[in-house]
Amino acid sequence: MNKQEEPTIYGVMARFDTPTEIVHAAKQVHAAGYRQVNAYSPFPIEELSEAIGFHKDRISLTVLAGGLSGAIGGFLLQYWTSAIDYPINVGGRPLLSLPSFVPIIFESGILLAAFGAVIGMIVMNGLPRPYHPVFNAPGFGRASRDRFFLCIKSTDPKFDGPATHEFLIGLGAKGVTDVEE
Amino acid sequence: MNKSYQAPADLGRIQYSAVGLGLLGLIGWIVGLLVSGHAREMFFHTYLVAYVFWVSVALGCLGWLMIQYLGGASWGLLIRRILESGASTLLPMAVLFVPVIVGIGDIYHWANPAGIESEEIRALVEKKTAWLNPSFFTARAVFYFVVLVLLATVLRRLSHRLDREGDPSVIQTAQNWSGPGFLLYGLVCTFASIDWVMSLEPEWFSSMFGLLSIAGSGVSSMALIISVSVVLAGREPMSGVIRPKHFHDLGKLLMALVCVWAYFSFSQLLIIWSGNLPEEIPWYIERFKGPWRYLGVALILLHFLLPFFLLLSRDLKKNARRLVLVAWLVIAMRFVDLFWVIVPSFDLDHHQVAKFSTWAIYIAATIGIGGVWLGWFFWQLRSHSLLPSNDPQIEEVLHAGGHGH
Amino acid sequence: MAEATKNKGYVDPRPPVIGPGYDFNSLTNKIADIVFMRHFQKGWLFGLAVAFLGALMLFNTIGYLVLKGVGIWGNSVPVGWAFDIINFVWWIGIGHAGTLISAVLLLLRQSWRNSINRFAEAMTLFAVACAGLFPALHTGRPWVDYWLFPYPNTMGMWPNFRSPLMWDVFAVSTYATVSALFWYIGLIPDLATMRDSAKEKWQRMIFGMLAMGWRGDARHWHRYESAYLLLAGLSTPLVLSVHSIVSFDFAVGIIPGWHTTVFPPYFVAGAIYAGFAMVLTIGIPVRKFYHLEDLITMRHIRNMSKVMLATGLIVGYGYLMELFISWYSGNTYEMFMMKNRMFGPYGYMYWLLILCNIIVPQVLWIKKYRENLKIVFLVSMFINVGMWLERFVIIVMSLNRDFLPSSWRMYKPTVFDFSMFFGTIGFFLTLMFLFIRFVPMIPIFEMKALLPQSKVEEKREEAVEGSLPGGVAPQFGD
Repeated sequence: MNKQEEPTIYGVMARFDTPTEIVHAAKQVHAAGYRQVNAYSPFPIEELSEAIGFHKDRISLTVLAGGLSGAIGGFLLQYWTSAIDYPINVGGRPLLSLPSFVPIIFESGILLAAFGAVIGMIVMNGLPRPYHPVFNAPGFGRASRDRFFLCIKSTDPKFDGPATHEFLIGLGAKGVTDVEE
Repeated sequence: MNKSYQAPADLGRIQYSAVGLGLLGLIGWIVGLLVSGHAREMFFHTYLVAYVFWVSVALGCLGWLMIQYLGGASWGLLIRRILESGASTLLPMAVLFVPVIVGIGDIYHWANPAGIESEEIRALVEKKTAWLNPSFFTARAVFYFVVLVLLATVLRRLSHRLDREGDPSVIQTAQNWSGPGFLLYGLVCTFASIDWVMSLEPEWFSSMFGLLSIAGSGVSSMALIISVSVVLAGREPMSGVIRPKHFHDLGKLLMALVCVWAYFSFSQLLIIWSGNLPEEIPWYIERFKGPWRYLGVALILLHFLLPFFLLLSRDLKKNARRLVLVAWLVIAMRFVDLFWVIVPSFDLDHHQVAKFSTWAIYIAATIGIGGVWLGWFFWQLRSHSLLPSNDPQIEEVLHAGGHGH
Repeated sequence: MAEATKNKGYVDPRPPVIGPGYDFNSLTNKIADIVFMRHFQKGWLFGLAVAFLGALMLFNTIGYLVLKGVGIWGNSVPVGWAFDIINFVWWIGIGHAGTLISAVLLLLRQSWRNSINRFAEAMTLFAVACAGLFPALHTGRPWVDYWLFPYPNTMGMWPNFRSPLMWDVFAVSTYATVSALFWYIGLIPDLATMRDSAKEKWQRMIFGMLAMGWRGDARHWHRYESAYLLLAGLSTPLVLSVHSIVSFDFAVGIIPGWHTTVFPPYFVAGAIYAGFAMVLTIGIPVRKFYHLEDLITMRHIRNMSKVMLATGLIVGYGYLMELFISWYSGNTYEMFMMKNRMFGPYGYMYWLLILCNIIVPQVLWIKKYRENLKIVFLVSMFINVGMWLERFVIIVMSLNRDFLPSSWRMYKPTVFDFSMFFGTIGFFLTLMFLFIRFVPMIPIFEMKALLPQSKVEEKREEAVEGSLPGGVAPQFGD
């Protein structure tokens, strides 16, 4: 309806008091066809990400990629330095001392896999991000303490300022406010 | 609530087919022995491999039985009857140990130190005769079986008492047995593996050996547990009780055990390979020579790497049909592992070893003993309720985390 | 017993891991208020001062060491490794319990870990920092320690990757890095809570920067949990590998008493044993001082006692295997080593070790004693000492009787050996004191997830879902 308002509005934020309330509201928001929905909670709620339609992340892929490149890199490093660049006989062991190389292959694999997990998580989550519009929502500080928030973004094709507002109130939200961009 | 968990009727069919297959193996074994030309020697060699393979599965079941009491996790309750049946086979296995005692002279070099060719090794073995002599060996074996059968029987009796009387304090008693019991079990398994397998090459020693064989029996018994659970999950009354979530748990345990086995094996290899001492390294040199080499490589690839990468997948672990394939691979590789550890100790020339017919006799023997083992196992499994339905945790296990009914 | 029928005599073995009466808000305050307290308690200040004196002793010793060289220690041929490596192994081992608690117990879904994991992880980090000092200084010229890393250099040489000391460099640095990542990732949501709870602007800025703009987005939580779980999955084999590699430092060599294949698992068990003892040694007083009895309950104490008992028995198994195999090997040197260990000039250390590590902890079999804080604390102290003695027995006693009797020599630690060892304890405690005061020492968000209020109730939802198509949706169908 009020098309000119949309660019300045990030979305509509609804506050809930308990996990049960927000999960049930999120399910209905999803069922009503909203797709650009975010939910905020002070601790992980498995049902909540399910409810807004987020089922699978791809962290395990970055871990696998990190682990494999670390292990292969660890092997190549040892093989190249010990057998090609500076071949040296140590205690009669073969230049390619596979058993001796395993510990470092393992360690470097683990190291890069761990970086894969951490960097993958941070990058895919778009962090670090000191400023974000949702921080403007009144009382949002309690999202990290004891309140649960549901935000329907204005970019959602079904978003319609007042109607969305109404809809969220109908779901039992304790407070519904517009969030400025 | 008090639904009956009687074993499904066609479990009997599976039991008879296992026994039938065992009979075929037995016939193949006898024929193979007669054809091989040196039947007596071959009998004891093949018998030891087959025996150790199955006794280690039984030991694994007893170990898991005590661990599930100590850990108190839900997967334990679902497989408790499988574990009890597996542990109960220790009784027939004790009887089946008699041929090993009869064959001490044919199996173990230390039984006759004078016959050892190398003077150095002979001198070394003579130092150990206080431990390695037939009568003490037999006495120890009797002791091991008394302890093992006692533990298996007590835990089983307690569990049945819970079924009959419904007194949950029995669980506490079983836990009290399991703590010290597991300690004793670890020691018995360790010394049994040193006696029965490590002493095949009496000059060789590794302080890891006991742990390595405990891990091995953990692997093969877990693979067996998974296989039997898959069979049960496909039939009433257990269908719907054993759910993908539980296969996920069992799959994780299998993966953990495969990793522990690999970790122990690799540590032993690395330490001995790096030390390169004349009394230790020949054991590995022998096993990385000739046809044994291929088995050694196969162990790395198929006993560790392939199952490891397959079991990384959560979907696979939850899928009973695919998980059971991995379990079978692991069981097969456990046989290869024991074959690779035990058979090179016998004085065989490589020419003979490389022949498939020689290997086939070992496989037939293992299938033959397997008929006895599985026959007893399924008999025990069928004779009692498949779930300890009076356990206080049962409701939680039946309904937790999922659709339930 | 006959009348004890249905459900009588059966006590739920799992009492709650969190005291009654908390909600999300009061739980946040309980933990966060320690950090936001305006004053410093006298007890804390006094403890910090004492610990810092120890740390100063360490810094002074290091200064003198760098000035004079490792000659100020008692190390001398044939005992080239002594207090330095003993302390290294001791500290690394202590660190392991932290990873074990945070990673392995997470994978095993043991939710009781949630109140002690951050504390234990901090302990890991600080213990690894103390451990790292010793090999770094033991090189004698710590300013060229970077030679240990493979980098292209003008000498055209590379490190020897067949050496377990090289594996150690990789293992310990990987361990330190991954532990730090794990700790920091675990802290992020709590840092956001602190940012949002802080009264002062500078506090908000510091916590805000550290929290990287975390806002509790459901998608973020999903990825966060995956990453955290995967990190736990990676840390578990890592922690096993680290102490295995530490054991390779010894086992890969051929010194009698070092070269035995059971070392890796036996070292790992010993590390967990020592680590849990240290968690209890520090945890029991902290719990009392900050009144955290509701969050670190008796269940934690009991479970940790059980873990100590179990790992202690594995360590005992290791001693038994060493003893048996040294005889079974038939090797003259192995047998002599064992005889020397038990009845040689340092024999009393061996028996003291058996007393501390094997005999005393057996009291934990008895349930009553597992629940007695004083006894658990005392047993932990015995284990702390015992595990240090174990490394002394392995390292010094294997070296001081060389293959050639002509080079036999007793080892005597100097005052600098002791000042360095006790100095690291001071350094470690200093870091711990700072940690418990300035960082939320119990994971706030993980504890919230343990509260009964955090569970989503299903029944309500079904009822509402049923009413959805007819009631709400058409209004917005449009």
